[in-house]
Amino acid sequence: MGAAWTIARKDLKLRLRDRSAYIIGIVAPLGLALVFGFVLNPISDFTFTARYAVADLDRGPVSALFVDDVLRSTKGVRVVKVASVAEAEALVDATVNPLGGTGDKQGADAAFIFPKGFSADVQSERPAAVQVIGSQSSQTNAGVSLALAQGYASELTSVRVTVATVENLTGRRVDRLATGVKVLQTPNPATLVDETTTTKQLDPVTFYAAGMAIFFLFFTVQSGVTALLEERRTGTMARLLSSPIPRSAVLIGKMLSAFALGIVSMTVLMVATTLAVDANWGPPLGVALLILAAVVAALGIVALIGGLARSTEQANTASSMIAIILGFIGGTFFDVSQAGGALARLRFISPHGWFMQGLADLSAGDVSVIITPVLAMLAFGLIAGAIGMARLRKGLRA
Amino acid sequence: MKALAISRVNLVRYFRNRGSIFSVFVLPLMIVLLLGAASGGAALPKLGFVAPTPDTFTTELEQSLKAVEGLRVVKVESDDVAVRGVERGDLQAAIILPAGYQQTLRSGMDVGIRYVARKSPNIQGITGVVNAAVTRQSTLLRTARFAETRGMGTFDKALAVAEQARTALPSVTVVESTAGEPLPFAGLGQFDMPAQGMLVLFIFMNTLTGAANLVQTRRLGVARRMYSTPTPVHTMIAGEALSQFTIALIQGGFIIAGTLLIFGVDWGNPLGAILTIVVFAAVASGAAMLLGALVSSDQQASGITWAVGLDLAALGGAMIPLAQLKLLSDTVYRVAHVTPHAWALEAFQSLVADKGGVADIAGFLLILAGYAAVLLLLATWRLRTVLVR
Repeated sequence: MGAAWTIARKDLKLRLRDRSAYIIGIVAPLGLALVFGFVLNPISDFTFTARYAVADLDRGPVSALFVDDVLRSTKGVRVVKVASVAEAEALVDATVNPLGGTGDKQGADAAFIFPKGFSADVQSERPAAVQVIGSQSSQTNAGVSLALAQGYASELTSVRVTVATVENLTGRRVDRLATGVKVLQTPNPATLVDETTTTKQLDPVTFYAAGMAIFFLFFTVQSGVTALLEERRTGTMARLLSSPIPRSAVLIGKMLSAFALGIVSMTVLMVATTLAVDANWGPPLGVALLILAAVVAALGIVALIGGLARSTEQANTASSMIAIILGFIGGTFFDVSQAGGALARLRFISPHGWFMQGLADLSAGDVSVIITPVLAMLAFGLIAGAIGMARLRKGLRA
Repeated sequence: MKALAISRVNLVRYFRNRGSIFSVFVLPLMIVLLLGAASGGAALPKLGFVAPTPDTFTTELEQSLKAVEGLRVVKVESDDVAVRGVERGDLQAAIILPAGYQQTLRSGMDVGIRYVARKSPNIQGITGVVNAAVTRQSTLLRTARFAETRGMGTFDKALAVAEQARTALPSVTVVESTAGEPLPFAGLGQFDMPAQGMLVLFIFMNTLTGAANLVQTRRLGVARRMYSTPTPVHTMIAGEALSQFTIALIQGGFIIAGTLLIFGVDWGNPLGAILTIVVFAAVASGAAMLLGALVSSDQQASGITWAVGLDLAALGGAMIPLAQLKLLSDTVYRVAHVTPHAWALEAFQSLVADKGGVADIAGFLLILAGYAAVLLLLATWRLRTVLVR
C-alpha cells in the first residue's frame, strides 16, 4: 500500500506541475459555469420594469380604474399619459432598448388606447374594445401589456355578464358601475396556485455549473490511465515493475491520483460556483455522495477504455470521444429531458444523466432520493472498472 | 510552394487519426440532431391534466384548455405522476384539480388549483393560457355565487342565466397591434439556430485543437529541422496555418451540406454563407496559431482549447441564441460581441432571417477579417521567436 501511495503522490505532483490538471479540472469547467451564470443569471435576477403609454380618450371611470388599479398597482410599471393615439404610437415606435428598463430610456414598450365612449360602451351592451400597441423590439414587456389588457377585458366581460344575470333574475335595472365594482371586489372562486418552486428541478445556473463539472470530470480522471500507458511507452514502467512492487500497487497508485484529482476538481467547482454565480447544488451530504459515485463511474469507464486501447493516443482519443458522447446524451450541455420520449430516456445509459437527475431529485432537500442515481453510477464504475483494471493489469506484464 | 507541402503533410497526419474524423464530421451533426430534438419545435408542448373527480366543471375546464391552439392536453392519473412528469421533462406543465372540484365550488368554498411548470425561460406562454382558461370558468362561477349570496336565485339558476348572458352579450375585447422595429432573427426553423451555433462552435474549437499539432511540431524538433533547410519561417507558418484553414473549410462545408440535406436547414445566400465560413475559418486558424505559439505542452494546449473554445461559444451566442441574450440583458449582449462567434452568427442570421445578400453582411465579414488579421499577425510575430528557438 505504501508503494501505491508513493506512486499516487508522485503522479499528483507531476500533474500539478504541468498546469494541464488545473486547466481541465478547474479553469475550463469553472470558466464555462461562470459564462453560463453570467448569461443566465439575468433570468433569475429579472425584475420586471416597463414603460407603458396610455392614451385615455375616454376619460371615463372604467379607463381610469384600469390606469389606477391595474397599471399603477403592477410593480415595475411606469405610466406615461399621452393626449393622442399618434403620440402613443410615436412613443412605441421610439423604443430602442429591448430591456424595458425605465431608467433613461425613451419611448414606451406598449401603449393602451381607450377610445372615446369606452366607459359608456362597457356599461351598455354594445361591443367595446381597448387597443394595445406593442413594441416589436420589446416583446416580453409588450406581451405583459397585452396580458394586463386581456385580463382587464375579461374582468369587464364578467362584470357585464354578472350585471345582465342580476338584472335578469331580479327583473329590474341596477346601477351598473356600482355593481361592477362590487363584483370585482369579490374574489375568484378558483385560482391557480403555482407550485413550480417546490418541484425537483435544477435552476439553469446550477444546471450548467453541475453539467460542466461532470463533463470535464471525465477528462480530468483520464490522466490516471494516460500516465499508466505513457510510462509503458517511455519504458519507466519496466523499471517500476523490476522493483519489488506488486503490480496492483502500481495500478492502484495511478488510479488513486486520478481519483484525488477528480474529487478535488468537483469540490472546488461546487464551492466556486456556489459562491460566484449562486449555483444551488443542494444538501452537502447528498452532493458529496453523488460526486463520489460520479468520480468512481468516470474512473471505471476511463480504465475500461485504457484497458482496451492499443496505444496512449488511441486511449486519449477514445476517452475524449466517449466522454463527449456520454456528456451530450446525459444532458450536461442542454436539458435533454426537454426533448421527451426516447431521447430523454436515453440519458440514463450515461453516468452523466444519472448525476444530473440525482442533483435534480436532490434539489427538493430529501437526501434519500439519490440512492438510485448513486447505485447506478457505482454500477457503471465498478463493472467497467473491474474489466478495465483486469485488462490494464494484464498489459503490465508485457 | 513549400507551404503547400507542409500543409499537405499536416493534413495527411491529421486525417489518419480516426478521432479527427469523429470530431470533424460525426460529432457536429450528432449534436445538431440532439439540439434540434431538444428544442422540440415539432412537438406541441404537453400540459398534464389531473382531475380526480369527473364532473361538469372539470370537463368544461378540460374542453376550454383543449381548445387552446399549440397546446396538447394529456390526462394524467395522479398528482404525483404529473409532478414527476414535469420534473423529468415529459410534460411542460401540469394542472392539478382537487378532488370534488365542482362540489367544493358549489358549496361556496374557494378552490386552489395546483399548477407546476418547467423552470424554463419560455414557459410564461403556457402559464398564461392556463390561467386564462381557469379565470374564464372562475368568473362565471363568481357571477352565480354573487347572485346566490344576494338572494336573487339558486346557484344553478344563476349559473344557467350567466352562461346564457355570456353567449348572448358581446365581450369586451382587446385589439392588438404592433409598432416599431421587429427583433432580428425572428422566424428561424427548429434546426437553424442549433446548426448555426454548432457550426461556429465546432469550426473554432476543432481548428483550435490544431494548436496541439503545432506544439508537437515544435517539441519533436520538426520545426528546427525544417529551419535547417532553406525554408524561411514565414513559409513554415503559412504551411501550418494553411492546414488548419483547410480543415476548418472542410468541416464548415460538411456541416452546411449535411444539415442542409439531413435537417433541411436554411443557410440563405450560398455565396454569403461560404464567405462567412472562409473568413471565420481564417479567424479560427489565427487563434490556433497564436495558441500554438503561446503554450509549451500539448496537454496544456488541449485543455485551453476546451476552455476557450466552449467559453467563447457560450458567450458568443452559439449555445444560447443571440436574440435570447439580447432579451436577457444588454450587457450580456454587448459582451457577446467581443467574440468573433457573435459576428459570424450575426452574418448567418442576416443571411437567413432577413434574406440578406453578400452586401448586407459585408460589415460583419470585415470585422471578422479584422480579427483574423490581428490574430495571424500576433501569431506570426510570436511563432517567429519560438519556432526557431
